[in-house]
Amino acid sequence: MHAPADQLPVGLAACDCLTPFGDASATAAALLAGRSALALTPVLGRDGGDLVPLALFGPMDETLPPRWLPVLHRLAAGIPPAAWGSARCPVIVTSSNFGVGSLYAFTRDQDVRHLAHGAPFASVELLRREFDWGGHIQVFSHACVTAHLGLAHAARLLHAGLADRVLVFSFDFVSPFVAGGFHSLKILNGGLPAPYAARPTGSIGLGDGAAFAVLTRDPASFQVAAHALHNEMFHFTGNRTDGAGFADCAAAIAATVGGRRVWLKGHGTGTLEGGRMEAEVLARQFPGAPLTGWKGGLGHTLGSCGLVELAVALAALRTPGGKIPGAVGSLAPVFTDTVALAAFAATDFDGAVLTSNAFGGAHAAMLLTHD
Amino acid sequence: MIERFIHQVKVELPPGIETVADARARLAAKFPRAALRRMTHLGLLLGSALEDIPLGPEDAVVYASTFAETRSLEDFLLSFPAASPLLFQSSIHPGGIQQVLIGRQQPIARLWPLAGRTRLVEQALLTALLEPAPRVVLAGGEETGTWMLEHNLASARSFAFAMILTRAPAGALGRVAFARGTSTDDPCPTLENFTQALTGRHALQWSGAGGTWTLDWLP
Repeated sequence: MHAPADQLPVGLAACDCLTPFGDASATAAALLAGRSALALTPVLGRDGGDLVPLALFGPMDETLPPRWLPVLHRLAAGIPPAAWGSARCPVIVTSSNFGVGSLYAFTRDQDVRHLAHGAPFASVELLRREFDWGGHIQVFSHACVTAHLGLAHAARLLHAGLADRVLVFSFDFVSPFVAGGFHSLKILNGGLPAPYAARPTGSIGLGDGAAFAVLTRDPASFQVAAHALHNEMFHFTGNRTDGAGFADCAAAIAATVGGRRVWLKGHGTGTLEGGRMEAEVLARQFPGAPLTGWKGGLGHTLGSCGLVELAVALAALRTPGGKIPGAVGSLAPVFTDTVALAAFAATDFDGAVLTSNAFGGAHAAMLLTHD
Repeated sequence: MIERFIHQVKVELPPGIETVADARARLAAKFPRAALRRMTHLGLLLGSALEDIPLGPEDAVVYASTFAETRSLEDFLLSFPAASPLLFQSSIHPGGIQQVLIGRQQPIARLWPLAGRTRLVEQALLTALLEPAPRVVLAGGEETGTWMLEHNLASARSFAFAMILTRAPAGALGRVAFARGTSTDDPCPTLENFTQALTGRHALQWSGAGGTWTLDWLP
């Protein structure tokens, strides 16, 4: 029995992202062309190590100021002006990494200047100063479903009348800390990710990514209409083998879809067990709906993936002809016949379900609707 | 006004400086032996705070921690270049609460892990008040660190708390309320201040997030 999804529709007044391909439009175009930003890179940056697939803005070794700051300045330049960080226009920052690469840099170099933005609160404080935000900045960190939490909480604030507009801002940059961690789990290996492909060995890629969304109660062409969340609490890094966690979240979001024709953007990291369960559950819950996933092109942008991929979805829907990128990097055979290996037309649909998963068996899904 | 009633509250606020070894010895009876060895200090304290708090699959948990799994983070960083997979897993927020819930094999509907600092308590309470689940567990805590503490990147003290919040006033111990109406911000209680208020059943009141916050205790 699943807990009901939040059905608190909010308008997307603005939304964009930055990936190594560029902004959301450039990223969508690159994915439509079947390109991947992943390149085999030493897992510990200048400290070497095995080659693993990473999609980066530049070398991942941390710098002073942190390498993510100039990128976030570029992203923030597109945020519509408002009294961000005031009680009526709060900011929600979502990330799973924050400035943790600076902690790794400190342990390597013993340069205490790295510590000024190593902890989550410290990196958010740096953003507050740089972007002249007020003090009402809420910070969520729930591994790879974090951005979904920020968007869901923003909808609650708006519907409770506690905010006029909410800025959700998300960033995750790869560092030896996180690349080394996933490499130690053996899922970040020398192979390129092939989401939903049935092959002998699974592999993921990691990617830098940042995104924002401005949410309002006002009518908008695109709305995030519903959110579903579920936490299995079965294992730190594994899911229940019967797929019940995936099914619970999928059923909750499906109950909000109504008569809409939806396509699916799944989590699709390239792992085998998770990918198989995800594809099979979604195929059962949404018969015939095409399933795509973009981490074969972008890498996994971790806590920010939900918002980065939302921005890419919006950009794809806005392009003339409305083509949705297929599962870049994947190849037949795939786990279900619903996996879209090629781009498909958005004109056949009036909504999309976007999902993410995380450590701890966390599941998140949102319903994106449009006119 | 939005309000929720406190129906159960438990605090772990060990006196002085408690080490993780101290905590393992003190709390040994509460955990299976294998779990006891693996759990972090914060995980142990949260596990004890949540010990008598039942949870169901439709409940929600709001979890607040500024520094989270400090010791795992410190040790994981020191494990390079041979990064430890176990320390990587346990260093990730919200590993403290997940250790407890995975140990209990307890699925829940929603988990809201917060990681701010200045207005963390206020934001955790707001998140709990906006939760539609009939029963919300609000939990939080910190564990002290070693080298990160020397750089003010860890809590000076280890502690944890957990409470059940519902809409039902009958039998409640206390109340958390938010009344809209002010645009000024007072300093928000720290997570440790809040935990001490729970321990001593002290009332708190401050302004923030566009309104007035009240923690009070019922006779």
